[in-house]
Amino acid sequence: MFEKVLVANRGEIAVRIIRACKELNIRTVAVYSEVDANSMHVQMADEAICIGNAASSESYLRIDRLISAAEIADVDAIHPGYGFLSENAHFAEVCESCNIRFIGPSPHAMNALGDKAVSRALAKKAGVETPPGSDGIVENEKDALAIAKRIGYPVMIKAVAGGGGRGMRSAHNDISLVKGYHTSRTEAEKAFGNSGVYIEKYIENPHHIEIQILGDNKGKIIHLGERDCSVQRRNQKLIEESPSPLLENKFRKLRDKIGKAAVRIAEAARYTNAGTVEFIVDDHGNFYFLEVNKRIQVEHPVTEEVTGIDLVRYQILLAMGEPLQHSQGDITFKGHAIECRINAEDPFDDFSPSPGRIEMYYQPGGRGVRMETHAYAGYTIPPTYDSMIGKLIVTGKDRREAIDRMNRALNEFLITGIKTTVSFQQAIMQDPNFRRGVYSTNFVEQLLGGARRELIEEKS
Amino acid sequence: MDIKDIKAIIDLMKKNSITEFELEEKDSKLRLKRGLNGTSQIAQSDDVVPMISAALPIVAQTVSVVPLAAPTGEIDIKSPMVGTLYRSPSPEAGHYVEIGTEVSPDTIVCIIEAMKVMNEIKAEVKGVVTQILIENGKPVEFGQPLFKVRPA
Repeated sequence: MFEKVLVANRGEIAVRIIRACKELNIRTVAVYSEVDANSMHVQMADEAICIGNAASSESYLRIDRLISAAEIADVDAIHPGYGFLSENAHFAEVCESCNIRFIGPSPHAMNALGDKAVSRALAKKAGVETPPGSDGIVENEKDALAIAKRIGYPVMIKAVAGGGGRGMRSAHNDISLVKGYHTSRTEAEKAFGNSGVYIEKYIENPHHIEIQILGDNKGKIIHLGERDCSVQRRNQKLIEESPSPLLENKFRKLRDKIGKAAVRIAEAARYTNAGTVEFIVDDHGNFYFLEVNKRIQVEHPVTEEVTGIDLVRYQILLAMGEPLQHSQGDITFKGHAIECRINAEDPFDDFSPSPGRIEMYYQPGGRGVRMETHAYAGYTIPPTYDSMIGKLIVTGKDRREAIDRMNRALNEFLITGIKTTVSFQQAIMQDPNFRRGVYSTNFVEQLLGGARRELIEEKS
Repeated sequence: MDIKDIKAIIDLMKKNSITEFELEEKDSKLRLKRGLNGTSQIAQSDDVVPMISAALPIVAQTVSVVPLAAPTGEIDIKSPMVGTLYRSPSPEAGHYVEIGTEVSPDTIVCIIEAMKVMNEIKAEVKGVVTQILIENGKPVEFGQPLFKVRPA
């Protein structure tokens, strides 16, 4: 049993992890940068250690300081959350060599899924289709053009070390391909320290469907159903739901097929702990493997609500060496859950970030409403990190009830002092296409396009 | 004015329901202001459980200390890392510095051990040590004040 866990993260996920630890009677240690001294996770934890300046590179990404903190606090394990070092195999290895358990997949599994090009190859071996594309990194411009010719435009150029929707762009012809190829490599080197890019066919009207998996250290892996994350803006997810309306309405049998494919890929990598296998599904029910997220994800609560299973708690238990208590047949789904991410951004000003002090804060409540946040009245959001201030998760007996409840809940927010995307989420909840469950990843673009047109027409 | 004094004043404020306190001394000014969300004025029914906001430590409320440091004011030597602090190069040796020790920027003032590596910490300032804020063998965090120095 772990006695003490260090949470190597911040914001709402740090709060989530601390709560799961408290429920297991595990003492918690928070780490924070100087601008996060008043953050909720620091206040909730039993101990807190300052590890650096505001910049992530000087604090939350400093492996040496995290390990130092873990040592002086004498912790048994570190939970890396999502982002930051959660998918850094080197960090996981350092933890293990310092006798600190890393709450996440083993370094072996992380390396087996390596970068995106490697995991594509693994998926193919596991008999799962991937979008047509390059077999590995594209070495030069000539190869890029040849691949694009073979698979046909439009194509996606993706950074092998990218994540969180970053490091990808599309190309519709040879000129934009060559330009995009070089720009992507430069950007990738800067953002991820790895200039490798690969090319994939751009699937039209894609639906982003991901499968939650759990694996223990005895090799047993199960899936906990899908999440539909197609409502995105610039490749950043805004809304996630389970079950997927696409699967429910059109392709019922696909859930089982995709779930099994996800498990096969995880087994090929000897995956342990929590993870998510991402797929693209087209309008004809064809599904293609995209990548594996080797961490707990932002939208994990959606799966928790429809399965009744606490995923973060499971992560901790699995890391302690406990076997999976559930078999695939034990996993059942009840009701419908939707999550709306709430960002400190101004939807009326092209979503420009809105850091600053929250003056008044009242969050929604009531039946079927769950709020995951680190925000509070008087809290000053630092400009240094991502803009997400919380997640509103709503559950209903079916999709209709969940949407109505989400509408009701979004209306209850009272946040002053900063701008938030609550009103934009409300617009989505009231959109007829979203309500019908007919949408793909170009939904937000189309919605904004329409709204922008109205604004322009209004002004002229 | 050090953190112990400030804590004592905050306690007194809480005990006596004082919301604002201002103190001006020769070389510093302190102003403390409490929010009103930590009190028990909310009407409660029998089974209301205390909300976390009622138990938020003082850190969430506005505390500002404005040091009006004159050129002769003291400055802190702060920890540049996370680890365990030692005041001497080895258990048998004497301390690197004591109160009254003159230091220059390259003077080693202490060792901070992190992951089995002993890091020599330099003063980075020229002056005289006036206060020792830490104890031998205790953990320190990033930014933690270790010594006070009166610059020369």
